[in-house]
Amino acid sequence: MTAGENPFGDLLQDYIVECLPLAEQVGDAFVELERSWRSDEPGDDLLTTVKGRLHTIKGNSAMMGIAPARDVAHALEDACGFLGRAPDARTADAAALLVAGGGLLVELVGGASPELDPAPATAFVERVRVYLTAAPGAATTGSDRRQTERRGPRSDEGGAAGNTVRIDFRRLDAMLEVLGEGLIQHSSLVELYRRLLRKVGAGVELEELDQTVLSLQKTLTRLESTLMEARLLPVSTVLGRFPRLVRDVAHAEGKKVRLEVSGGETALDKAVLDRLGEPLLHLVSNAVAHGLEHPEERTRAGKPAEGHIRLRAASVSGRVTIRVSDDGRGLDVEAIRAKAESLGLDVRNADDAQLHHLVFVSGLSTAERVTTLSGRGLGLDVAANVIHALGGTIEVESRKGQGTAFTLSLPVTLAIVRSLIVEVDRERYAVPLSHVAETVRAEPEAIRQINNQGVTQWRGDLIHVADAGAVLGTPESSRGLRPFYVVMTAGAKRRGLLVDRLIGHQDIVVKGLDPALGRPTVVSGTTILGDGRVACILDVVRILDGAAHVN
Amino acid sequence: MPESFLVIDDSKLLHQMYRLIFSQGDLAGSTVHYAANGREGYAMLAAHPELTLVLLDLNMPEMNGLEVLARRQAEHLYPHVPVALVTTEGSEEDEARGRAVGAWDYLRKPFQPSDIQALVRRARELRRSRGAA
Repeated sequence: MTAGENPFGDLLQDYIVECLPLAEQVGDAFVELERSWRSDEPGDDLLTTVKGRLHTIKGNSAMMGIAPARDVAHALEDACGFLGRAPDARTADAAALLVAGGGLLVELVGGASPELDPAPATAFVERVRVYLTAAPGAATTGSDRRQTERRGPRSDEGGAAGNTVRIDFRRLDAMLEVLGEGLIQHSSLVELYRRLLRKVGAGVELEELDQTVLSLQKTLTRLESTLMEARLLPVSTVLGRFPRLVRDVAHAEGKKVRLEVSGGETALDKAVLDRLGEPLLHLVSNAVAHGLEHPEERTRAGKPAEGHIRLRAASVSGRVTIRVSDDGRGLDVEAIRAKAESLGLDVRNADDAQLHHLVFVSGLSTAERVTTLSGRGLGLDVAANVIHALGGTIEVESRKGQGTAFTLSLPVTLAIVRSLIVEVDRERYAVPLSHVAETVRAEPEAIRQINNQGVTQWRGDLIHVADAGAVLGTPESSRGLRPFYVVMTAGAKRRGLLVDRLIGHQDIVVKGLDPALGRPTVVSGTTILGDGRVACILDVVRILDGAAHVN
Repeated sequence: MPESFLVIDDSKLLHQMYRLIFSQGDLAGSTVHYAANGREGYAMLAAHPELTLVLLDLNMPEMNGLEVLARRQAEHLYPHVPVALVTTEGSEEDEARGRAVGAWDYLRKPFQPSDIQALVRRARELRRSRGAA
């Protein structure tokens, strides 16, 4: 397949072994240059050394057909060439450009594969081109021109890049705030329209108002999707650092590992991506350190000595899934069972899947379990918490002797969440629609009490139904059956939540919680509703998790 | 008699690539000497007048490709052995400087196995025509 395209495809590992240290030296040298220039040292020697290394990386990347690394090395070479001739241009901005490029180069070389996402490289090359064009006294050399022409037709993005403006992400956040206000005002208009309709009855003017409000909503939706798109970055910006990590961990652990990364082009909101790095890091390094066996052990088990870790991202029905899988020893269910029992959990009737899920429970995931639990516990509760805080879910599947897979499902964005607004004890709450399966009128005879818990038939299954007041801990919680329940789902779990009123659907702009308030267990954030009231956003995953533990 | 070649390149990766190329087709079975820098390469060249072709990288630490060629020219070391200068840019400046110090041909990165095969064919023709002359 891929190896066939380049005659030297089989030498990919040799390429990384040779070029990654060079790229790292380049990256370090740029950091050193930044420091030198700040203290007004010219750093000419460094520039010369770096140019030689860049040249080697460029040549080797070209031979291997790793175009993004070749192009970034080339752009950096051009930038260094210019800066070598123009001491006056050695500014903090120029240093920042080099440092950014050095980091990117390390990622590209470390993560080299024929499927490497070209977008970050294209963007960087364009950045250098713009810099070199705008820098005082910079003239594009013949070789630059040739290179640009050759790159031109290769990607559409490259062609469009001429119209690209770089923008501080905080400005996108500010625009989102403004959009949020627009959405709030829209909801106010809708409410006003309804009040008018009740007061004066239908009429031509109201009909017109209705149409205008409707088109306003369409405009806002268009604005929202445009703005959301601007916030999206390819997942490769996070996945790109893993080849290096895997290499380092594998080396430290004496493992042989082949890492396969795919779906890097899948787009996610930068705000989600920024917080995703840490939990993924846990999962991937755990997979290498504890999921995979040592080469001898694998050989004894009749497996290839080289372990295989897959990192796959994909868009699935409006969400992004990221799967981290290994072909290692799998989770040790008996060790999990023993640990769970020692913690006083009743796991007599738990099946394997339920036991696997316990690795996300804190206490079961302490470092002391590293050896007996194949180390799967290490930090997994922490990783799971971060994923949940992002409105995501994490699932685990494992087969003894065959491997373990963690599947993360994440919302594409955190910023705007389409939600169902409900009322409980005169307070309003938002339930993200991605977690709402259905809203049902609660008939007293349809809900039975079993072990002090409400249970009802829903789509042929028995599900628990809990009072929202009790879940939320509102003071007036125990006053009979509320008239509706919302069936909430997360992964395979579901549960009904009894509420007083269903207000409607609304796009809400999520505001974080004041950290001073601590971390409430059932609320993930707040938002402002159409009438200006503040509403809490329910953390459905946590509510369902809590339910699971009570059971 | 099997043919022999000399590769002078500071990149181990490139050595691997040449190994791959020289193990295929009618090149299989030929002897290839490898040098990791210009100085070492020059010494190997001096030891092997029978070489069919030398592949010389331009950019190397210690002694670069142009320096190797310049020294060979100055010392008249086996002018009959064709030396191809391997460059990444292939800028006209480099080529002119290479020709001035006796480079026989150029090979630009990225190259394909077929490029090396073609170079070898031409080097053989050169040898035959000289032998005939």
